[in-house]
Amino acid sequence: MMRGTGTHRSSDGVKPEERWRGVAVSEGSAVGRVLRIHSDARQQVYLAALEESEVEHEVDRFRAAMRLARRQLRGLKRRAELALGADHAYIFEAHLLMLQDRKLRDDVEGYVRRGRVNAEWAVKVVADHILAVYAEVKDVYLRERSADVEDVMQRILVALSGKDGHGARLLPDDAVIVAEELMPSVAAELDLSRVRAIASDAGGWTSHTAIIARGLGIPAVVGLRDMYRRARTGDEIAVDAFAGEVVLHPSPQTLEHYRASLARVAVPTNVSASVEDGVTADGEGRRETLYLADGDEVFLRANVELPAEYEGVRRYGARGIGLYRSEFLLTHRGAMPAENEQFTAYVKIAELAGVDGASVRMFDLGGDKTETEDAERNPALGLRAIRFCLRRENVMRAQVRAVLRAAAHGNLQLVLPMISDISEVRRARRVIDEEREQLTSEGHETGEVKIGAMIEVPSAVLVADKLAREVDFFSLGTNDLVQFTLAVDRGNDEVADWFRSLHPAVLRSIDMVMKAARAAAIPVVVCGEMAATPAYACVLVGLGVRDLSMTASAIPRMRRVIAGIDAERAGEVARECLECATADDVEELVRARLAMLWPHFFPPETLPVPIEVER
Amino acid sequence: MIINPLGLHARAAAQLVRTAGAYQSAVRIERADRSASADAKSILSVLMLAAARGTQLRVTAEGADEAAALSAVCALISSGFGEMTG
Repeated sequence: MMRGTGTHRSSDGVKPEERWRGVAVSEGSAVGRVLRIHSDARQQVYLAALEESEVEHEVDRFRAAMRLARRQLRGLKRRAELALGADHAYIFEAHLLMLQDRKLRDDVEGYVRRGRVNAEWAVKVVADHILAVYAEVKDVYLRERSADVEDVMQRILVALSGKDGHGARLLPDDAVIVAEELMPSVAAELDLSRVRAIASDAGGWTSHTAIIARGLGIPAVVGLRDMYRRARTGDEIAVDAFAGEVVLHPSPQTLEHYRASLARVAVPTNVSASVEDGVTADGEGRRETLYLADGDEVFLRANVELPAEYEGVRRYGARGIGLYRSEFLLTHRGAMPAENEQFTAYVKIAELAGVDGASVRMFDLGGDKTETEDAERNPALGLRAIRFCLRRENVMRAQVRAVLRAAAHGNLQLVLPMISDISEVRRARRVIDEEREQLTSEGHETGEVKIGAMIEVPSAVLVADKLAREVDFFSLGTNDLVQFTLAVDRGNDEVADWFRSLHPAVLRSIDMVMKAARAAAIPVVVCGEMAATPAYACVLVGLGVRDLSMTASAIPRMRRVIAGIDAERAGEVARECLECATADDVEELVRARLAMLWPHFFPPETLPVPIEVER
Repeated sequence: MIINPLGLHARAAAQLVRTAGAYQSAVRIERADRSASADAKSILSVLMLAAARGTQLRVTAEGADEAAALSAVCALISSGFGEMTG
């Protein structure tokens, strides 16, 4: 029963079964062992024993990581000096000296050799030793400097994880990730292709955990209060992301039940629409044109963030990339990617998207997306997205330059996130024009780049007619639009019942935006979770939406639905929805109409579930 | 003696390490109470001295350019790392 990996606890099979019920956000089920992931990446360090013959390779790997970390830090220091002046960039000087420090190098290498352990573990042990000394210091200011050592350690660990496929070895192949919330920055550093399932304490349908899991096709259950604290890495766990159930320390009977159901769901059924549907034998999806039953062409594009999602773009036949969340480039918290690094990434994205093109969303930073800044009291409404970019103009300029240059190699657009006022578009456009001129004078080639505005704030909806004259297209982000229109925090499961995508206020907002775009003859792409849900997408089509961007794995099912519905009847349903008074009324209407019009596409489990709200 | 208000913190330590690193000689810094000593060319070890304002330090240098190294490091420390205002 026990395997000597050091992570398993000894009382296997003795602990009583514990069950949780949560929200199933990505279908599937799995049995595996808990891997606790702290929302702080620093904790993700595991001990791996090495063979004698591997030790010198490990030392080399550590040295290479130190070189990489130094290179990254020098780049960061240069940019910080430009942005803040040499006086304030001094802290990078101290960090650089730490990365060059003979003591650190000797201690880590010595530990790797003596203990025959992986470099990550040695770095952690050595850094913890240094931190322990700091903890004894009486002077408060000096004691707080331990943050510098932690930051440097973190930098080395990130460099180690990015160096080769080595980091992947650290994830056991039966891992079920248990976290409070799986942050994108942390997810980016894990080899999620080996993860069997994800279970998180926080979150609802649109939480980070849910979006990541659906994007990668990993079964996931969220909203499991207090599960993270109870679970220990190595514990046996069963996840049923059909029923929304998670069982810790499952009994032999429970395991038997799970294994049987695993075997059953391996055979795709008509109801759950296999994700393989629409994928040809050679793994290339059908990228052919798609029409509604009464004629209009509809584009289904892919939302992409993590490299693990790249493969799905072609596989599921996406018509390009409707939303590229560029924040992934920024996984090394606080470190802004260099222009050239971004350029390479965007060229790759453009290649992947092909003739249909890719929309790169400008860094949507701040808010809940990073943890680098001092905590804001209300981050979702704080210095984030376009506001952050305009404030840190050097960050924006580097990204703009990279996109303009990459556009010479493929079809790219740029989306400005969280526009709330037209002046933001004008300021951004000025920066873009300046950088294009600058690049030309430097002898760089640039390509044409259309500029779009993300519509996700009610103020942008209300001035959409004016805004439509200033941009080349709209990108409707429904997750934030619902959150801001209804004033409901989408990460807070206490108010999950108030997050109603089909609220008449949301639908009226979308309707206004569509009308404004039509009047100005600019396209609109809808790229929130609504676009990936067939029943909601049907309402969107009724409101005039013809361009939907979603997690790639959702495309095949959506393609069948779109081909089977018609704009005329969907339009009638949408118009009725716009006249409803409450979200309950809309959902009731959608349930009744869709089940009647297209029962084969909308079996009961695909329709919005009536919510019993306790108020 | 450390006279700058924030003590031998990261920025000051960085200056110290850079200064000491410019010389061939081995440079060591020791707390006057002999409770800890550090290689002046290693920032981690300098920081571990945890020298707050008012800490008395003893600097020693050994090597070809020991006199120059010693006076440069001592000058830096007694100048308060250029942080003293006025």
